[in-house]
Amino acid sequence: MNEHSQQPLIAMSNVSKAFGQVQALVDVSLTLYEGEVVGLLGDNGAGKSTLIKILSGNYRPDQGTFQYRGQPVTINHPADAQALGIATVYQDLALVETRSVSHNIYLGREPRRFGLFLDRRRMEKDAGVMLDDLNIRLPSQRVDVELLSGGQRQAVALSRAIAMGGNILLLDEPTAALGVEQTQQVHHLITSMRQQGKAIVVITHDLSDILDITDRIAVLRQGKLWAYVPSGSTSTSQIIGWITGVVPPRIENGASQ
Amino acid sequence: MISAFKRQDNWTLIGLIITLLLMIALFSWQSEFFFTTRNFINIGQAISIRGLIAIGLTVVMITGGLDLSMAAVAAVAGMVTASLITHDVNSVLVGVAGIAAAGVLGAFNALLIVKFRINPIIATLGTLLFYRGLAFVSTGGDNIVTGVNAWSELGRGSWLGAPITVWLFLAVVVLGMLFMRFTVAGNHLYAIGGNSEACRNVGIRVDRLRGWTYVAQACLAGLAGLMLTSQSGTALPSALNGAELDIIAAVLLGGIALTGGRGGLLGTLLGLLIIGVVQNGLILLQVQIYWQSVVRGGILIIAVTLDSLRRGGGYR
Repeated sequence: MNEHSQQPLIAMSNVSKAFGQVQALVDVSLTLYEGEVVGLLGDNGAGKSTLIKILSGNYRPDQGTFQYRGQPVTINHPADAQALGIATVYQDLALVETRSVSHNIYLGREPRRFGLFLDRRRMEKDAGVMLDDLNIRLPSQRVDVELLSGGQRQAVALSRAIAMGGNILLLDEPTAALGVEQTQQVHHLITSMRQQGKAIVVITHDLSDILDITDRIAVLRQGKLWAYVPSGSTSTSQIIGWITGVVPPRIENGASQ
Repeated sequence: MISAFKRQDNWTLIGLIITLLLMIALFSWQSEFFFTTRNFINIGQAISIRGLIAIGLTVVMITGGLDLSMAAVAAVAGMVTASLITHDVNSVLVGVAGIAAAGVLGAFNALLIVKFRINPIIATLGTLLFYRGLAFVSTGGDNIVTGVNAWSELGRGSWLGAPITVWLFLAVVVLGMLFMRFTVAGNHLYAIGGNSEACRNVGIRVDRLRGWTYVAQACLAGLAGLMLTSQSGTALPSALNGAELDIIAAVLLGGIALTGGRGGLLGTLLGLLIIGVVQNGLILLQVQIYWQSVVRGGILIIAVTLDSLRRGGGYR
């Protein structure tokens, strides 16, 4: 568990979002510190993906405010989130299958020459270095993503998030489609990213390793924040209790400071 | 630059080149007039004007879009150009106005597709009828005869032994290939065709880029309309009527997928050449004109079938 001496990297306060009659998020407040991994849990439809999409600027909240290192900020567009160093890896990976690994890693922020032209050589070199640093082995960074396995695709998606220069990484079910060994690799990646001082939010349904790889656990239930506690102070069965609503809410937002 | 080619597209290109060489060999064997400089210039001349439109369409289709209205846009541009020429407007201004008119029609296509989210097939089917109608309404169905003037040089002139239309077409092909391969925007167009949602997520201005492809496509169609008017000395409201499907066929033959994200301008160029060679060869062999369509359709069907079988996927 981390000691939070500084102010939060990012803090969201009283965020609500409705889709028509459906209240996807109700008055959610969350803080996130440097070098911590937060596990975001909850049943299907609890609002996990909505929360991620609000933080990444893909949805605009109906209510609520954001602070970045104590300064009030607005996140209305993916570009706003990017500017704050927020990078997202989506459940469906959001990779372009017909393009190469390096194209995917640098999608939308390709190295340029003279402002207009793609610096393909530098892009492929940088992609190679990045994959080596993360210990990711692929046939080549020139191969099209459609020819890769599920685990390799996940690695490409994570590489992109890091290449975005993100210091806040939002991972939407990074291990959902992976086998045991590949899941371990992703967990190693998460741990090494945390050591680099990144703040990481991991959405997951997989409770088996969650207490080992996270510093804090957040549980959403019916759009409300039901629990936000240090991972060391809870248990798998308690988490299941929060997810199903059997155990009463407990929120220690910032109490770990 | 092997990496610049897509692995799957590579095979498509090789197949096209082999097909083209076989066709050339076949017609050279069957007709003494086929393998001559004069005849190759004829083939180039025959595919250049439609080729301009096919190049624009290729870019639109790489992003996963479609434009059925391009031939009608060319007709409108031809009518605008011709009517300005008959009013003794300055030549340069005529060219700018003709292409600008086409660009406006393209912007309207873009508005329907990008802003109002209408399926490109439906939107441009509507504008196809609308624009074609405008071309006819503008003169009550009459042609506009410009005759031979300063403008005719564009469509009839030659440079270094080849028609200016061919040079212009080749220039557009080369510029288009460079753009699609080496610019960031060109690469984004491919990515949009592959997964537009992923592109939106990383902040690529998908709608803006897509919109511009329709405007560029229309401007190229406008240029084609200009060339046609210049070549024939007449603007017909029915110009290129029905050519839409032939142009789409050439692009599909070149390996562009309707779903976008794949293929390239080189494929389209080869597709155009194959169709051009077949058309020319059948004429030289004095085959009944109605066989043309049968053969072209046959080639397209065989090509897409082979492609589908090779990919092991296809329509489900």
